[in-house]
Amino acid sequence: MEKDTESEPTSSYAYNLMKEMKLDEEEILHRKAWLEFEEPDVNRLLELNDMAQGYATEVIESLYDHFLKFDDTKKFFEDPQVLNRVKNLQKKYFLRLTNGNYDDQYIQERIKIGSVHASIGLDVKWYLGAYGFYLRAVGKRIFKAFKSNPEKALESYFSLEKLVYMDIGLAIDTYIYQREATIKIQQEAIRELSTPVLQLREELLILPIIGAIDSQRARQLTEQLLHAIRDKRAKVVVIDITGVPTVDSRVANHLVQTVDASRLMGATLIITGLSAEVAQTLVTIGVDLAKINTVGDLQGGIEEAERILGYHVTKSLEDDSK
Amino acid sequence: MKVPILKQGNILIATIQSALTDQDLISLKDNLSHQVIQHRSHGVVIDITELDVMDSFSTRTLRNIASILKLRGADTVIVGMQPDVAFAMVQLGLTLPNVKTARDLEEGLTLLK
Repeated sequence: MEKDTESEPTSSYAYNLMKEMKLDEEEILHRKAWLEFEEPDVNRLLELNDMAQGYATEVIESLYDHFLKFDDTKKFFEDPQVLNRVKNLQKKYFLRLTNGNYDDQYIQERIKIGSVHASIGLDVKWYLGAYGFYLRAVGKRIFKAFKSNPEKALESYFSLEKLVYMDIGLAIDTYIYQREATIKIQQEAIRELSTPVLQLREELLILPIIGAIDSQRARQLTEQLLHAIRDKRAKVVVIDITGVPTVDSRVANHLVQTVDASRLMGATLIITGLSAEVAQTLVTIGVDLAKINTVGDLQGGIEEAERILGYHVTKSLEDDSK
Repeated sequence: MKVPILKQGNILIATIQSALTDQDLISLKDNLSHQVIQHRSHGVVIDITELDVMDSFSTRTLRNIASILKLRGADTVIVGMQPDVAFAMVQLGLTLPNVKTARDLEEGLTLLK
């Protein structure tokens, strides 16, 4: 159902979205088959069209009266111009329901609507409620019109229901797809931010690790580090794990693997900042850290790295202030 | 593809230029162990920069080459391992514990001097 078209994406956007969501012809047929939406349903809906023309305005008006009763939905229609335009769009959709041709174009329109609603932040519950409202309003009128033939009325109503369920499915899938896409982008951003590899001197990198490490992060960390070693031609890398609250055997093994892999590439790894608890845990769980070069704190680690690289850092004794 | 072995002073340099078959690796092993004596070399650098896949056989062969050359009186340095190769190897538990490594040919040569 149309609410606001100001932020309406272009139709090529909806087309791309449809492709991304893998809503191809086969999938659409599959969805229709699952809803048992068949040719007779299309015909029955077409028959309703004349009738729908008659009561469309009435139904839409009552739907928006209903919307305006709730603060959460009312806020979307503060501007009377918006309300008017949205009503018109809504009416178009309402009549579209009984207009046949439930093809690609139709699906694209539904996806577009779903994505508009997701982007303006209209919750699914309002959306579902509005569809319920529709079905009740139209159902009442169908049964009234086919008073003499209740069986026909029920069939027509079911046809409409199937189509509405398909539309709901498409819209909600669009909601979910868009939210998942956002989550994915954010996750990647967090992951990249969480493992900065810093160059301290020529051939010397530091990798401060902050926060808990799980297998996935450890793996990513290792890969990023190894590539940084090659790209920045590092000879020594200091990994500081002061900010890592707990280290379990899996994380410890990852550290050992990282040390081994770096050595294979010709770089030396120094691990600093093992807290008392972490050191005790490692000894208790019996991780073999003999191969790992550890230094108490980051300062010590950097000094050790400088020694390996042959730097002599001395404090200047000259008086710069004259 | 055969691996060319170059002599640079008293060091031999073997540069692997493409993926090797098991047979190529074995002949590399034979050639190196011969030439080390022939040229009275005290060090060998094996450059694997171009290798993007290493299986357990090539790992084992490299380790064997290092051990054999040691017995023949020469040190072995493996240089230029790619990050993905290094990561894959340690995941398989293949860490080449007794083989020297360096970042590139230059550093490998320095290490042997």
